[in-house]
Amino acid sequence: MTPKARPKRKAHDPEIFFNRELSWLSFNSRVLEEVEDATTPLAERAKFMAIVTNNLDEFFMVRVASLKNAIAEGDTAPDSAGLSPAQQLAVVKEMAALQLKRLHEISERDILPSLDGIGIRILDFHDLDASLRSGVLRFFKDEVQPVITPLGIDAARPFPMLPSLSINLAVLFEPDKEKLAGEARLGVVPVPAVLPRLVRVPGADSTYVRLETVVMSQLSTLFPGQTVRDVAAFRVLRDAELDIDDEGGGDDFLSQVEDEVRGRRRSQVVRLDIDGKVSEALLTQLVSRFPGAEPLVYRILGPLDLRLFFQILDLPVLDSFRDPRQRAQATLLPAESADLFGVLSRRDVLLHHPYEAFETVLDFVKQATADPQVLAIKQTLYRPASDSDVVKALVAAAEAGKQVTVVVELTARFDEASNIRWARRLEDAGAHVIYGIRGLKTHAKATLVVRREPQGIRRYVHLSTGNYNEKTSKLYTDLGLLSSDEVLGRDLSAFFNAITGFSDPPSMQRLTMAPMALRIRILSMIDRERRRAEEGQNGLIRAKMNALVDEDIIRALYAASQAGVKVKLNVRGICCLRPGLKGVSENIEVVSIIDRYLEHSRIYHFFNGGDEEHFIASADWMPRNLDRRIELMTHITSKEAVERLSTILDWFFEDNQKARVLAADGAYHRRKPGKGEEPSRVQMRLYEDAKNRADKLRAVPLTLEPIKRDAKA
Amino acid sequence: MAAPRKRTLTRKPKDGAQPPPAEPPKPFAALDLGASAIRLVIAEGEGDNMRVVEEASRGVLIGKDTFTSGRIGQPTVEAALQAIEGFRTIMDTFGVVRYRAVATSALREASNRDTVLDRIRVRTGIDVEVIDGSEENRLTYLAVRESLKALPEMAAETCLVAEVGGGSADLSTLHGGEPAHSGTYAIGSIRLRQSFAAFQGTPAHFQRLVLRHIKNVVDDIRRELPLDEVKHFIALGADARLVARVLGAPESTSPTAFPRDAFLKVCGDIAALDVDTILVAHGLSQAEAETLAPALLVYSELVRATSAQTITVSNATLRHGLIFDLARSEAGLGLEMFSRQVLASANAVGEKYNYDAKHARNIANLALRLFDELKSEHGLDARDRLLLEVAALLHDIGLFVNLRAHHKHSQYLISVSEIFGMSRDDLLVVSNIARYHRRGLPQRSHIPYMALDREAKIVVNKLGSILRLANALDADHQQKVKNVRVRPEGGVIAFEVEGVGDLTMERLALLARSDFFQDAFGRRVIFREVTRGES
Repeated sequence: MTPKARPKRKAHDPEIFFNRELSWLSFNSRVLEEVEDATTPLAERAKFMAIVTNNLDEFFMVRVASLKNAIAEGDTAPDSAGLSPAQQLAVVKEMAALQLKRLHEISERDILPSLDGIGIRILDFHDLDASLRSGVLRFFKDEVQPVITPLGIDAARPFPMLPSLSINLAVLFEPDKEKLAGEARLGVVPVPAVLPRLVRVPGADSTYVRLETVVMSQLSTLFPGQTVRDVAAFRVLRDAELDIDDEGGGDDFLSQVEDEVRGRRRSQVVRLDIDGKVSEALLTQLVSRFPGAEPLVYRILGPLDLRLFFQILDLPVLDSFRDPRQRAQATLLPAESADLFGVLSRRDVLLHHPYEAFETVLDFVKQATADPQVLAIKQTLYRPASDSDVVKALVAAAEAGKQVTVVVELTARFDEASNIRWARRLEDAGAHVIYGIRGLKTHAKATLVVRREPQGIRRYVHLSTGNYNEKTSKLYTDLGLLSSDEVLGRDLSAFFNAITGFSDPPSMQRLTMAPMALRIRILSMIDRERRRAEEGQNGLIRAKMNALVDEDIIRALYAASQAGVKVKLNVRGICCLRPGLKGVSENIEVVSIIDRYLEHSRIYHFFNGGDEEHFIASADWMPRNLDRRIELMTHITSKEAVERLSTILDWFFEDNQKARVLAADGAYHRRKPGKGEEPSRVQMRLYEDAKNRADKLRAVPLTLEPIKRDAKA
Repeated sequence: MAAPRKRTLTRKPKDGAQPPPAEPPKPFAALDLGASAIRLVIAEGEGDNMRVVEEASRGVLIGKDTFTSGRIGQPTVEAALQAIEGFRTIMDTFGVVRYRAVATSALREASNRDTVLDRIRVRTGIDVEVIDGSEENRLTYLAVRESLKALPEMAAETCLVAEVGGGSADLSTLHGGEPAHSGTYAIGSIRLRQSFAAFQGTPAHFQRLVLRHIKNVVDDIRRELPLDEVKHFIALGADARLVARVLGAPESTSPTAFPRDAFLKVCGDIAALDVDTILVAHGLSQAEAETLAPALLVYSELVRATSAQTITVSNATLRHGLIFDLARSEAGLGLEMFSRQVLASANAVGEKYNYDAKHARNIANLALRLFDELKSEHGLDARDRLLLEVAALLHDIGLFVNLRAHHKHSQYLISVSEIFGMSRDDLLVVSNIARYHRRGLPQRSHIPYMALDREAKIVVNKLGSILRLANALDADHQQKVKNVRVRPEGGVIAFEVEGVGDLTMERLALLARSDFFQDAFGRRVIFREVTRGES
């Protein structure tokens, strides 16, 4: 459908769209279900607790902050679901309160006691036996006290700028009897963030006390001569929306981001979590001290900030309470892995992480680094791991005199500080480091290797749905394609020329780039399916992504559904499309998979009258991906890879263990195996499949295979 | 001077860089600084095995500046420098060392072109060569010829190849697939748009105004090119390709033919729209949208001036011609000179001025014979030989103006002619060679001669003196001399002449006109008559 032919847009259609914030909260709630699920092993439940906490934190710092900003700016325009920012905030506040309540209740009633049951104790200082206290107190004297700065608050000393996510103690003192005005005074003790949240108790195995409770026990030392009336731990979350001035001069983008990261500490408080037992007097005092709009306040049952579980996850005691270990499988024979250029000159290799080892990607970069025939390496880096092998390899390549071009995305949310470090290191090694295009995040994940071979220049590419991050590659499901296809190579080369500013955006054949062409391409493919269906052909669209928000695309999908196109969507997170509405979307099915790995791959499949087209992409169908980011969608053409993608999609829609089906009312329901149906769990099947392939690989006797360089797979 | 130059980059090796392996083909690059964009093509391989590895382009509106104010403004120069700097980085990616960078009318006509070229050289290490219309036509022809391999039926008839660029329209006619006439005319789209920049009015009114101007120029073109003989029209350029897309042509590299009426209708429809509508409807930039209508009006008027029933839109471009040319030279063939096409085009100029074809050919043969015999003496190359041949063919065309001082008229006429494959610099050399076929030798007061650089002067001296002697050998236009051999004998060079009838006149003429030769070669000339078979 051309944009013109689109049905006339109404201001909003509350009946056919879901609100994205509520849809996100619903996703987080599905993750929470995994914690509540008693069949989930304990260590995994603890991990999910930490993840849900972290997700909610980010949600407030970004989405809720922007809702609050919209309200502050007087924005009352309703979204596509018909809710104004104020209405959205009201619902979000309630739903988040319920979720926090659920989260902390499970922690208190279930997770902490269960951990205790296997000998992991996370305690209050006051719960410690007197015999164990002395060791902790020594730790306090030696390690904590030197870095602690208690603050008395009064008219002369304004409320301090507390860093986002930091834990602090609010202390209410008895009024000073000497003075006439007998008003209770406030003190604040920031709990040092440089120290671990959980303090190991000397002399007791697997026993921890929370740092803030240790500090709390020593108030008389910190505020000598004062009488404490009440004390409560609290934590603040601030607006983290990066707001970089894209127009204003200053060509040093790097230092601009550095300033921004520092500046984040000063931004507005969005949410305040406080110990549920706090007195009304202290809470009122505290809240009144924050400048700007009043934060959303949540009284928390039990310990604040359940990201603390991250700290104990690696304890060996937990080893028998984890998901069965799944080792990343080999994709190639060792001899092949050692000569990737040789393999790729014959065929494409499709990688599915974490089932298949990310090492193949690292090998690709490392072999490019070491190969004297390689002239240049170009790569996008969005969120490399903190101790990234990819970055190390690139540094080595640059030092070896190769032309290394790295497009670093500095504004990857919450990772800026780490990105800046890598950028500096690469620059020092002599790489061209490019900070993307202003105003557009570089979200595409691609590597290009230019190699000089006896027959001439040959280009090797890696195109992926996930970041070059060894750590997340073990937790997120992502697809990657390694290839030496000439068209792909030329396309990717043109892509890098465009984002490094060396050329105007080109026309490409197998790659489609956002923001220029991707939206148009997706809309036109959806519309092609609609037209074929109207002509009486079978129409089928299958798409897997993390989020579906874009209104134009949703409307196009509705139109396709109305024309009889079958639309099968696998949307892990936010989905603003309302499926199953009569006359609108009855041919659309939406499934969300929440399992041990975070679903992250994007796969798109269009039936196209039998001339089927399969894609992998870095982009979700969200306005931010399509309009404000540099993204890539790759047309997968090699027969073997296409067949695998198709099977992968089949399995995603056959899951009846971890799949939730979205109903027209917005509720998600677990899919159960039907009568006579075998249980089917897609992540398990994919792992088994990868394992079988690897086994088969090993079972193949080492027959010598003559290498025909020019043979195409 | 004459031959197109290939250039080599000096590359700064990085510390610790591995030495580049020797065996694989070395990629080479072509850069084209046009009126609205700077473009890069990188290819590797020789001759027909050439393969394009990379293409890039950056919109830089050089033409807009030049055709408005006569010079290129600072911001545009900066944009051009940045673009070329980026291209240099891309070239480095592939280890490109050999390249040719050319600039066309937008830079050629800028008053500050030398400064701009120097800044490019200093900042990027890229040496840009300003080429003229005929070199542009030659390079474009190379690309057209490649793309016409798919359409052999067109080769049989007269074709017009037209490219409306930003500064000018480049036109060539092809006979039997080979260029016959060519010319460059100042009706480029940016130039037209800028000429009428002050105009405020409806698109229709603007169109009438521009059209009147184009019609006048096309009438002039008709006098130089046989437009009415044209049976096929080959349109090149981005604007023509846009028409092809509107007509539903797939994005492909092969040329696509359209019926005359359909092509004209689309041109007319688009030209009638205002710039904003064009911009939205065709997804163009402001700059592209502004110049689309003038370009299409030029194409339309040219089509109407021919009897072509089909319009073939080809993707051939100057830069692809450039890269073919470089691939050819990579194969050791040298840059293609198109001798045959050059001579056909020179003869067409001769016919225009009613030359004595027989005498001209005879003198050319004699001159070439002397040139070949004197090879060890003059040390000139095949390209210079071609210049001599053209000069010999046209040395007498000044007779068309007046018998008196006709060598001076020849010089002027040649210097302002369009000969396919001959650059403006080439023609200046050729015209000087022709001038000195008789009468006075070069002097300080001869401005066209003094305007040549030292190297070119030497070429003129050597070739002019050879032509002078050749002309002496057909002094009475009877073609009596059948063969000449040249024998260096110590301080003299003996011309052994074999002929029919009485050669006295030739002998006297040869000796009388050997003055120039003695200056140029430092040898005295003696005439020796021989009979057939004698050595």
